[in-house]
Amino acid sequence: MSPQQRLALVEKPERRFALTLVAPGVLVLAVTTTFPLVYLVWQSLQNINLAMPGMERFVGVDNYVRMWGDARFWAAFAFTLIYSGATVSLQLVIGLGMALVILQIPRAQWAFRMAAILPIVLAPVVAGLFWRSLMLTPDFGIVDFASRSLGLGSHNWLGDPTLARVSVIAIHTWQWTPFVFLYMLAALAALPADLYEAARIDRASAWKRFIHITLPLIRPAIVVVVILRITVALSAFAAIYAATGGGPGTVTEIINLYAYRVSFVELSLGYGAAAAVVLLVLTLLVAGLLFRIRR
Amino acid sequence: MTSRRVRSVALMLVGAFLLAIWTVPILLAVVTSLKDEKEVLAYPPTFWFAPTLKSFHAVLFGPTNILGDLVTSLIIAVATTVLTIVIAVPAAYAFARLKLPGRKPLGFYVLATQLVPPIGLIIPYFLILNRIGWMDSYKGLVLIYMTFSLPFAIWLLVSYFEDIPREMEEAALIDRANRWQALWHVVLPQARGAIAVTVIFVFLNAWNEFLFAVVLGGANVRPVTVSMYNYINTEQTQWAQLAAAALMAMLPVIVLGLAAQKHIVNGLTAGAVKGVGRR
Amino acid sequence: MKALHSRRKVLQAAAAGVALAGAPWVSKFARAQGAPDLGAYQKAKINWRLAEGQTVNVAVIPASYFENLIALTPEFEALTGVKVRYDKVPPGQIRQKCVLDLSSKTGNISTHAADPMYLPLYAANKWTEPLEPYLNDPKLTDQAWFRYDDIFEAWRKADMVENRTYGIPYDGEMTVQTYRKDLFDAKGLKPAQTLDDVVANAKALHDPNNRMWGFCLRGMPGAGQNMYIYPSILGAYGGKWFDRDGKIRVNSPEAVAALEWYVNTNNAYAPKAAQNWNWPDIADAFAQGTIACYIDGHTAATVIANPERSKVVGKIGFARWPKGPSGKRVTSIWNWAMPINSALPERTRQATWLYIQWAACEETQIRSSFKFKGPGKRYGVNRTSLWSNPEYTKTIADAGDKFLSTSIETLREDTDVDWRPRVAQWPAIGETMAKIIQAALVGQAKPKPALDDAQQQVERIMKGG
Repeated sequence: MSPQQRLALVEKPERRFALTLVAPGVLVLAVTTTFPLVYLVWQSLQNINLAMPGMERFVGVDNYVRMWGDARFWAAFAFTLIYSGATVSLQLVIGLGMALVILQIPRAQWAFRMAAILPIVLAPVVAGLFWRSLMLTPDFGIVDFASRSLGLGSHNWLGDPTLARVSVIAIHTWQWTPFVFLYMLAALAALPADLYEAARIDRASAWKRFIHITLPLIRPAIVVVVILRITVALSAFAAIYAATGGGPGTVTEIINLYAYRVSFVELSLGYGAAAAVVLLVLTLLVAGLLFRIRR
Repeated sequence: MTSRRVRSVALMLVGAFLLAIWTVPILLAVVTSLKDEKEVLAYPPTFWFAPTLKSFHAVLFGPTNILGDLVTSLIIAVATTVLTIVIAVPAAYAFARLKLPGRKPLGFYVLATQLVPPIGLIIPYFLILNRIGWMDSYKGLVLIYMTFSLPFAIWLLVSYFEDIPREMEEAALIDRANRWQALWHVVLPQARGAIAVTVIFVFLNAWNEFLFAVVLGGANVRPVTVSMYNYINTEQTQWAQLAAAALMAMLPVIVLGLAAQKHIVNGLTAGAVKGVGRR
Repeated sequence: MKALHSRRKVLQAAAAGVALAGAPWVSKFARAQGAPDLGAYQKAKINWRLAEGQTVNVAVIPASYFENLIALTPEFEALTGVKVRYDKVPPGQIRQKCVLDLSSKTGNISTHAADPMYLPLYAANKWTEPLEPYLNDPKLTDQAWFRYDDIFEAWRKADMVENRTYGIPYDGEMTVQTYRKDLFDAKGLKPAQTLDDVVANAKALHDPNNRMWGFCLRGMPGAGQNMYIYPSILGAYGGKWFDRDGKIRVNSPEAVAALEWYVNTNNAYAPKAAQNWNWPDIADAFAQGTIACYIDGHTAATVIANPERSKVVGKIGFARWPKGPSGKRVTSIWNWAMPINSALPERTRQATWLYIQWAACEETQIRSSFKFKGPGKRYGVNRTSLWSNPEYTKTIADAGDKFLSTSIETLREDTDVDWRPRVAQWPAIGETMAKIIQAALVGQAKPKPALDDAQQQVERIMKGG
């Protein structure tokens, strides 16, 4: 068969088929996200402050220039990176570790799967609140009680700036690690058993087996789960808001929270939109990078 | 033999410890919901107490009950999930397996639409929904929820689809089945586990959504995430009722998860057993 | 045994099923039973039905005083033929949601429970109606019957912007000193008259090892959180928000002194957790018997005087704010104001006015407080006459020692309309101040530099940046 004939017979129909399958999804997304995106960018080029009506005007990139020199923005930027990096790494290490451990205890797997789904199912807003008031309150909360009983003393888990940062990272990690755990469990369970047999016969140690066989095989799964988790971490809102509100001061403010405050509390919609755009660009860069290394 | 034993015991302990960390806050919610309001904040925390179902009763049947809102959330979450799966499964298959023109850029575009920060979207969505008269309505919320669940579902499914061995499809195609039949009869059954997992997470995302629910909902449509938050009212926080409401809100998803368990297990082990002819 | 157990289960399920199915039916029956007595309303010489057929959407926060109003709404619907729908929005989101609706002129929310500090913002943007035309129109309001002047003057003034009314107060509160009378009596202490007394009392009772903290103020950052208490301390020190040129100044010497007092006292005598506490948290802690004295809203009585929640019922005393070095006592002026959305068509605005008039009138205040057939108590009715009505005061006086007299006196004597700067930029200014107050509380910054920093930010905000 000539190349052209092959193309006509096999590839063209396949292409059409593929496009039909993808069309509805892409259409819905294009229709519902294009206008908001355009609107957001347009708003970021304006100076709109609801408290000063009549002073709205187009200011081009002024908002971005101002952001460049805004210390609070950079602090939020830095913490966003720390927060996302820390929680996703922790989620990955712990989740993957848990999956590896649980795989070896086949009988208890269902219990772990059920338990794992519970934190994810709890609404983030409620999770943040419970952690804040029932668990982490110094002198009143359960975590504090436990740490005292263990002789570790009482600490201002949410009031001390460093501890507050650790706490919000811990809360997010607590809530979402089970997702990674379940996902990795599925990925690992789908790996072929015969490869391991071959390796075991060759007397390769468990660690070597993991590094050289398992890891490369699950790399695509890892990348996907990291992308999914990072995007959630970058736009986390409810739990931090409920737990610390961005405090003490502004130390646990991530860009998302900062943009919310600016837009909806300080009513400076243009500047808030600019912050949101910056967050979007950051997210796109990170996702793009990860996307590249997927294969 | 003993070192193996030690290893298993160690593994069990680690596993049990992790299990505890993950379930303690939930257990705390359960315990709180059964306590009297006065007991909730007692310190040192009391573990022995006379449990009462008062809070559950208030939350389900009292004047500020969430029963109606649970139904609302159910309708929205089910609609979102069904629509999302119907659109996402074929799309993910196309991305994973077929010669889709512009596959990479299109794939990234789909992922990117999910990346716009929600706070940047509130105002535009508020304006759009008002414009088309879909404000405070089921269809409005479902439409908005789909904007973040579609990309999520597609991406979740793509990676699973890529792992399914090609041979069966190719065999079916050689047997003169057309592509739709190949998709429906051959690929989908194998992807059952993946679809089950995706259903759970899409449902969950829609169920737990708060920000859009508050702003774009209203007197007519009030998902349970919003009404649950109202136990933190202006004068006081009704902890026991909040805990009871949060637990009630978790139930449907857990039930869904239990029901889907079977499919997840089948889907996962099928891949392991087959094993043959992987890339 | 098994048969008995399973039979009981079946009965329980059946009972639950009947309750579930029957609940709405029963409540409907109960409502139909007592057809509302509208006589008191029909005494008003206005046509209540002039906006018949309209629908009014009301956004409220979850609170017992609104729950009671919601329960009474069928009476309003029967009276006027106007349909009312409620959107219960969490307190942390209601301002944003209403601002969003008002600013985009979508007219979804006809009226709402508004923060009076937001009224200047509404007025500057012409989002809500000045209400004098409604109050003075004899077709819409029977002034002799409505008696607008009966509503607390401080609250009415707080809801005015440049001498025009923008909201009608529905419910309100004041901040008062709340203390453990039993502990004070045991040590022969009296409620503080000055800020120094506060410290002395706190010292005498402070015993953290036995879980008793001497004094507590809120620390949680927020325009309606720690910035609800700080202005009173500022006032006590004689501080003002505006300097002689009419510009906002937040770092005056009085401001620094006030913040220092706030920070030092809270750090010395309050639990560390208070840095992140809001009023319900303090009320909860007090109700558990761990706080000796605190200053916050009088409506916390809902928690601390409630036997279902509190371990200290019967042991509470109330007193006015202590005096500061300037000799002044300043309490908060808080009320939930109901405005009218300007983006509505005329008839809907009239329907909204009828609703507001109904909610704020004496009869409804009575029916939603002491005549209410339900557990919710109202501690903040809006009318002076009711506060001297023994039937009302009877229901709330048992909150604690001198609860009634303290509340009335403080509302009469200690109010200062300029307690917070009433400018359209308040939301941003309030937030800015709130953050630096908390930063000072946790030791991240010292009061003076923190306030200087705040001053810079405020100047930028006032310029419109």
